[in-house]
Amino acid sequence: MTKTTSHTPMPQPLRILLVDDETVRAAMVEEALGREGHEVICRLQGPSSLNDMVARHAPDVVIIDMESPDRDTLDSMALLNRENPRPVVFFADQHEPDTMQAALAAGVSAYVVDGLVPGRVKAILEVAIARFDAFQSLRQELDRARGQLADRKRIERAKGLLMKHQDCDEPQAYRMLRKLAMDRGQRIGEVAANVIDILEGLEKGQ
Amino acid sequence: MSMSHAPERPRLTLGFVPLLDAALPIIAREGGFFAAEGLDVTLSRESAWSTLRDKLAAGLLDGAQLLAPLPLAMSLGLSGPPCDTLAPLVLGRNGNTLVLSHRWAQGMAAPYDDTPGGRDPAVNARDFAARLRHRGAPRPRLAMVHPFSSHHFQLRDWLALDGLDPDADVELVALPPSRMVEALELGRIDGFCVGEPWGTQAAHRGGGRIVATGAQLWPGHPEKMLGVTRQWAERHPLTLTAMIRAPIAAADWLSASPEHRRQARDWLALPPYLDRALDHLPTLPLGEAPVDQRFTALRPEAGQLGAVVEHLARQLGGSLDRNRIDACYSAVHFDAAAHQGCA
Repeated sequence: MTKTTSHTPMPQPLRILLVDDETVRAAMVEEALGREGHEVICRLQGPSSLNDMVARHAPDVVIIDMESPDRDTLDSMALLNRENPRPVVFFADQHEPDTMQAALAAGVSAYVVDGLVPGRVKAILEVAIARFDAFQSLRQELDRARGQLADRKRIERAKGLLMKHQDCDEPQAYRMLRKLAMDRGQRIGEVAANVIDILEGLEKGQ
Repeated sequence: MSMSHAPERPRLTLGFVPLLDAALPIIAREGGFFAAEGLDVTLSRESAWSTLRDKLAAGLLDGAQLLAPLPLAMSLGLSGPPCDTLAPLVLGRNGNTLVLSHRWAQGMAAPYDDTPGGRDPAVNARDFAARLRHRGAPRPRLAMVHPFSSHHFQLRDWLALDGLDPDADVELVALPPSRMVEALELGRIDGFCVGEPWGTQAAHRGGGRIVATGAQLWPGHPEKMLGVTRQWAERHPLTLTAMIRAPIAAADWLSASPEHRRQARDWLALPPYLDRALDHLPTLPLGEAPVDQRFTALRPEAGQLGAVVEHLARQLGGSLDRNRIDACYSAVHFDAAAHQGCA
């Protein structure tokens, strides 16, 4: 067999729809897949418009946070949109159980267009898994660093930011934190840290 | 409890989706019925049925509240990779509502009203079909919770009452239950079929009206079931028995007094479970028209899944293996659990 390395054509870039509410992680995945030459469309927020996004952008691959409430929308598109010329099918390649297991552990779900070469899907999935994992370690490091700061100090800071951003008073800000904590099953100190992150991020961006 | 019945795996994580028919696992946890069986149960709130399914199949969850068609769809490999799944316990019957925006529901009867439209769901379906044919494009967009749900199949059955083709005449989309009400209010969908409390919440908030219920279409149908993988069940037989017994005890307790229903409602309204979604319900409504939510008759009966099996068979374009269905919804574990300790 002759080697034709010098003339191997670049594979066509794929259109990837990324569905992730975690903005920092989404940016990491987008950057990495973009570097591989793929065209990445990000969708961050907003219910029920996912159908429209898939119809409009006709992605080859959808990468989605396993915890996203939009999972069921994609599941149903795979089964119901018979008139859609580019049906999205659930990536259930049982020839790659290791990749599937790694994806699950990292919290990555993928849906791909029927007929896409499995090797190309695997490569994309591996990039996404690596970034999801990296984000997880970043978050853990951040959490450790934050552990040194007293919860109380954090709650005060979060309350102050909430009062400013939500135009509310101190008891309202505290109730908001408490509700967030209960909703997520987290300690109020953890929630305060998240709130600080998000709101300080917003302020820096302005 | 004797040592011989001590569960192999006393610490369990069970998945649920915030719905009224997550009641039995929640009551079993908060009311100490799991603890009485030697189980320390964590309930994990999941935001999508697909996530619940994948986590159960991968062993990240020990068991889960499942849409009744899902264990069979998983076993047949119709939803995710094939995974032999058992449904040894019914967690709730009825509870679904079909809600339409006011634009579509105008003039329609309320289910179970003493009018022709209230008594016969075909009357509202005929009204809907007439409006749809009159208005033409764009097709109304109707939501259900998952392709393998009774909501999807009941919506199809309701549309078919007046000969509408669910694949051509309307656009069917899937949304998580907790997003239905907002999507309707924002005009992103024209109606939906969903489990409680979301249907009565939509009506209460004024975004739409209940025009039919699952209880009208499939009276007394098993709506949610406890799901475990066959592999898990074989490894943890005593744990499974305890996992079945606790919700049965919770159901008995629930039906014993109206005070218990109020207590159960308050447990369900805790932030890790349904939180503010129960604000419009002062107590847990049981057996009341038009929803007719029930937490009784928990023994699984493959024969009661007839409508589900028909829809699945049509989707597959053939008939289903009877043995597969019987194995999936077998009552053998229920009977063993219910009789344990009686001797």
